[in-house]
Amino acid sequence: MNGGYIYLVGTLATWVGWIAVFRLIYLVIQMAFGHMEHLRQAHFKAIGQSAATAAVCLALAFSLPAKSGLEAVNTPSIPLVWPMIPFTGWLAIVSVLMVVARVIQSFGALNDSEKKARFGAAAVWVGVGIVSWYVFKRTGGEVVLFKGRLPISIQTVIALIAALIASMITMVVSARYAAARGLAKTVVTHIALVLGSFVFGVPFAWLVVTSFKEDRDMVAKEGIVWVPRVQVTVPYDDPQDPRFETDFMCRTVTVARLETLPNGLLRVEVDRPLGLQGTQFEADQKVLKRVPKDAPVVTAKFDGKQVKALVAENMNDGRQRLRIMEPANIKDQEFMVLPTDTEPLMVTGLRTKNYSEALEFLPPEANLGLTYLRNTLILVVMTLIGTLLSSALVAYGFSRLRFPGKSWLFMLLLSTMMLPGAVTMLPSFLIFRSLGWINTLYPLWVPAFFASAFNVFLLKQFFSNIPMELEDAAKIDGCSYLRTFWQVMLPQIKPALAVIAIWTFMGSWNNFMGPLIYISSPEHMPIAYAVQLFQNDRGGEPGLTMAFATMSMLPVLIVFFFAQKYFIEGVQLSGLGGR
Amino acid sequence: MPIGKLLFRSLLAVIMSLTIALAARTPVVVWGVTLGPESQGFQDLIREFERLHPEYEVRVLGMGAGQMNPQKLMTAIVGKVPPDVISQDRFTISDWASRNTFLPLDSLIERDRAKDPLTPTREQYYPRFWEEASYNGKVYGIPTGGDTRALFWNKDVFKAKANELRAAGLDPNRPPRTWSETLAYSKVLTEFNKDGSVKIAGFLPNYGNSWLYMYTFMTNAEFMSKDGRTCTMNTPEAREALQFMIDGYDLVGGYEQAMKFQSSFRGGENDPFMTGKVAMKIDGDWVIDQVARYAPSTNFACDPPPVPDDRFHHRGRYANEKDTYISWAGGFAYAIPAGARNVQGAWEFIKFAASFKGRIIEMQGQASISRRRGRMFCPRIAAQIEAATKGYRMFAPKDPKFAIALKTFFDLAPVSKIRPVTFVGQPLWDEHVRATELACLKKMTPDEALGKGQVVVQRYLDEEFNKEKYPEIDLRLPSLIGAVGFVIGSVLLWAGYKRKRLGRLAQSEARAGYLFIFPWVFGFVVFTLGPMLASLFFSFTQYSVLSPARWVGMKNYADLLSTDRQNILKSFANVLYLGGIGVPLGLITGLTIALLLNSAVKGMRFYRTLFYMPAIVPGVASVVLWMWILNADSNRGLVNYAWAHTVAEWFGTQVPGWLTVETWAKPSLIVMGLWGAGSGMILWLAGLKGVPAQLYEAASIDGASPWRQFWAVTLPQLSSIVFFNTVMGFIGALQQFEGVYVMTNGQSSGPADSLLMPVYYLFNNGFKYFKMGYASSLAWVIFIIILIITGIQFLLAPKWVHYEVEK
Repeated sequence: MNGGYIYLVGTLATWVGWIAVFRLIYLVIQMAFGHMEHLRQAHFKAIGQSAATAAVCLALAFSLPAKSGLEAVNTPSIPLVWPMIPFTGWLAIVSVLMVVARVIQSFGALNDSEKKARFGAAAVWVGVGIVSWYVFKRTGGEVVLFKGRLPISIQTVIALIAALIASMITMVVSARYAAARGLAKTVVTHIALVLGSFVFGVPFAWLVVTSFKEDRDMVAKEGIVWVPRVQVTVPYDDPQDPRFETDFMCRTVTVARLETLPNGLLRVEVDRPLGLQGTQFEADQKVLKRVPKDAPVVTAKFDGKQVKALVAENMNDGRQRLRIMEPANIKDQEFMVLPTDTEPLMVTGLRTKNYSEALEFLPPEANLGLTYLRNTLILVVMTLIGTLLSSALVAYGFSRLRFPGKSWLFMLLLSTMMLPGAVTMLPSFLIFRSLGWINTLYPLWVPAFFASAFNVFLLKQFFSNIPMELEDAAKIDGCSYLRTFWQVMLPQIKPALAVIAIWTFMGSWNNFMGPLIYISSPEHMPIAYAVQLFQNDRGGEPGLTMAFATMSMLPVLIVFFFAQKYFIEGVQLSGLGGR
Repeated sequence: MPIGKLLFRSLLAVIMSLTIALAARTPVVVWGVTLGPESQGFQDLIREFERLHPEYEVRVLGMGAGQMNPQKLMTAIVGKVPPDVISQDRFTISDWASRNTFLPLDSLIERDRAKDPLTPTREQYYPRFWEEASYNGKVYGIPTGGDTRALFWNKDVFKAKANELRAAGLDPNRPPRTWSETLAYSKVLTEFNKDGSVKIAGFLPNYGNSWLYMYTFMTNAEFMSKDGRTCTMNTPEAREALQFMIDGYDLVGGYEQAMKFQSSFRGGENDPFMTGKVAMKIDGDWVIDQVARYAPSTNFACDPPPVPDDRFHHRGRYANEKDTYISWAGGFAYAIPAGARNVQGAWEFIKFAASFKGRIIEMQGQASISRRRGRMFCPRIAAQIEAATKGYRMFAPKDPKFAIALKTFFDLAPVSKIRPVTFVGQPLWDEHVRATELACLKKMTPDEALGKGQVVVQRYLDEEFNKEKYPEIDLRLPSLIGAVGFVIGSVLLWAGYKRKRLGRLAQSEARAGYLFIFPWVFGFVVFTLGPMLASLFFSFTQYSVLSPARWVGMKNYADLLSTDRQNILKSFANVLYLGGIGVPLGLITGLTIALLLNSAVKGMRFYRTLFYMPAIVPGVASVVLWMWILNADSNRGLVNYAWAHTVAEWFGTQVPGWLTVETWAKPSLIVMGLWGAGSGMILWLAGLKGVPAQLYEAASIDGASPWRQFWAVTLPQLSSIVFFNTVMGFIGALQQFEGVYVMTNGQSSGPADSLLMPVYYLFNNGFKYFKMGYASSLAWVIFIIILIITGIQFLLAPKWVHYEVEK
């Protein structure tokens, strides 16, 4: 462990030393070219400090090696160190630092009250430190020091130093001009933002790319495949193993012939779509339309020569029957080969089949996913209507009409916001059960017709901002309350309604727990739940899973792009709580 | 009159037959079986059944119902929309039966015994299989198949290491027969990569299908007492078995290491056993068919699973033991859930499907599809004796390698034990899995781990056997009281309203007002207040919906704090982790982006869209996506690919196991959450825009650095957002459900319970076991904790939250 601490000190010294060296260089450049911000004397003092720090640290770093594992290795590298400490340990360290900082700050305090506050804060941190140290010790916390090296080539080092010095000179020179200073700041900000959006965007990119990849490209043998490739196929009508198209269970299917039955019918097996694959039935020869199949193209060795061939048939013994395409002199010759001895021909392209296959994989009741879409749409539309109508009505009642017990009822409404869904989850199930609504969509949207506290609260704020005169005018014209609400007031709060509509849309589109509890058959299943089941059933096929996930989020993303403004307003409204 | 009666009857008969003919076929809904390209046999079975019974239409529900999800089945049964037939894992049948969720089949058997030769009777089946599907002397399921476990060993791997094996005094031409031999072989066969991860595993005690159960069968441990009232999970025999598993994992560098190794496994032709990455495993007879299908050239053999040394040599307490080898049998049975709509159709289907004829049709179908695809067919062991013996004779593969392997499994059937027939079968299973994991991870000693499981199972047992102590209550009474209370309350309110003596105009306005807010009032009473009171009431009862509720007083709450304390504490500790680390990290990320965006003049909208987009990705889809990105295999997972080429390389360490290991499971959740930090960012942005510019001007005149300005001006101005987001973040962490459910498929609570969350635990108690009372008490605890957290934060708020003074 001691060696570990020496390593830690050595590594820190190396890093601090080098940073001090660069600060020194920067200061020197500044003195040479730049506009002096400080007094000359202060500047010299800063240079001296940096030089001293650099000298001490680097000397320390270079004098330590031998016993601590810091000894020079053949390839140049920068030592790295990472203490593996449980969270409580980190908290203890942070507390110590905070206490020190607060105590130092208290000396520079302007007045007594600030001093007192600083000491108070220090005391709190002492408490946190003691508690976390205690927990750290009690849970058998131990510190593991990871020693590492960042390998780095001489060229990189030189390039890096050159770039650093160049940028320092630029910084120093541009610091003379105020406009340039602003520009430098903008550039740095944008670089940071681009890096950030890269990090946030990579999962999306990965999602989309994966949904277009072939299964064999999922495993990174030579790095992650970022440009999707597809297997080349050619249409091929094989006389030995032909494919036919016919109708079966109201769908057009491609079938393979198994045997001719004594009664003249053909016994066939479904090849496509995947959802029916393997199903066998008897068909009349007359209704079968012969179609070519998509034969994958591969390269293989034939008579010691490299040939391009198509896979005519997968044989029962695990081998493949290949039919040569190139070279021309032995074209159409056929031979047998083991799949491991072939190399598929891939070209850059998108495997859009992942999408169609993902849908084909769904059970027949799902009707290629349309059933899921229909259910989700019913859910979304009904929830939207219910939420908007009921929330607006109730909010109007609370904000504009006077009736005994109003403030009391409103307090009650606000307090329901605190109630977690978990409390009412089980009894609600029993209510819907007694109504016979299990395995229907009703439990998922009917409650929306009874106004949720948050939306009412939000809309009430909006109603309150509308001048009373409008309403009074309507009243004088003899409008009923309902008509005033509908024709005068409602149009005034359209933006707020839009925000609520967006949130409701998102909420019902993504609702997962509801269907999980209430829905058990595919006929009533909405998309969000189907995605989870798809992941469960088809977990081994990332291409299809990602394609299905992409399809499930596409509508939300489209709505987002068209109604971005309301999304953003929505977050602000919901978050600030009407501040 | 008789003529009129006759006429009426004949008319009725005509109408009936017409409706049957016209209204087409009554559906028989079957769950628990998946239909796919490989299930030809089952399809043939259905086709034949429908030919024989044209009045029925068999509907096998795929996706969602095809998988065995107890929560789904339970909800469907309780919700009165169950399937007609369920194919159910036998060891859980007594559990379901004890809760009155399955129909007893005795009366149906009695009825048809004489007239229908297909009727299943006890004599036709292997006794143990039949017993496993019965409970309290009644038959609840008709067993279909059986499976036994044997040791698979890859001869090529043994051959490759022949010299080393010989050097260690082991014979490379035969598999281990005792536990100590197994460990010795595994030690020689296991190989490690340079970074310490496993390259080839000799033997992983729990990989394949062995579980602690099988090892305890070998040491003669019993998990249940004879009378079925006491759980005896923690016995010296069981600890001995568990110790063997721990030793087995130690040889491959520990359980976590093994888990990480396993996370890179793939199915099909890349199966680790067939490719020689795992030298030995204990698995079921279905694996032979997989080998025949994907890698028939694998040089493997099956032998009886190794047993404790003393048992093998018939020494010590095994001196009088008849059987040297012991295996374990499980399997499925068809059952009819309570409340099935088409009991007659279901029974007809079960009779046919489980009979000799049905089993043979199914085997024939599977055999023909295998033959057509050029594969060998390996029949499974049928529970029906005639089908099993004749089936083996008719369909056993010709290839001696496979035939001998299959024979091993058939021969093990007589010495196979079954799991105890008890209604706590599922909890017993769950707890034994949990105990194995905790002990293998060395979080607990075998004694502690098994002891903990035993306490939990005992609680279930006591609950059932002590329930007579608690009075049954009629739920109509509290509902009546509630209704009366509601009426009285309304009358009082009405009286209060009348006393106000409003003017005519005011009265009409008030009336309109009440009408306007009626939707909320109604919703509040029906969907909030009612359920809330009901849940409070349930929390003092023991109620499983299907059987009458019993008043247990504070017992549920006492259980939360005593017998179930460890799980509850773990779940709240997990919340604390997510709240304590995840929430601040989310706040910092959001604020950092917002600060950057706030200073960038151009392209702000563009960046804002980009950063915000992940926040609107549907939750389930986002978890599914991240499960792939965080795949522990650095050749597949995006993050670990990057990690392996940077950090892991620099430090010479391994990549993190993310969802597969305990330490990284919660950080995975946090990382997923951080991706959605965009919505927080929008809030911060709005807040930043609201900070008055003159404050910054004043500060910079005073010579404050940007850093100081941030701490002294920006942050205090934003403190209300910090406050709001911390409260919401904590409450959100407390209610975390979706992510955990999707990540674990609702099957477990993550490695070593690292993803056990309160609401998830509540959901499982409520909808998997329908322990409404217990789940309700947990719900109230969560509610109270939320109240406390919010309360504390509101109390502390004035100390540090800066509010603009309203003008």
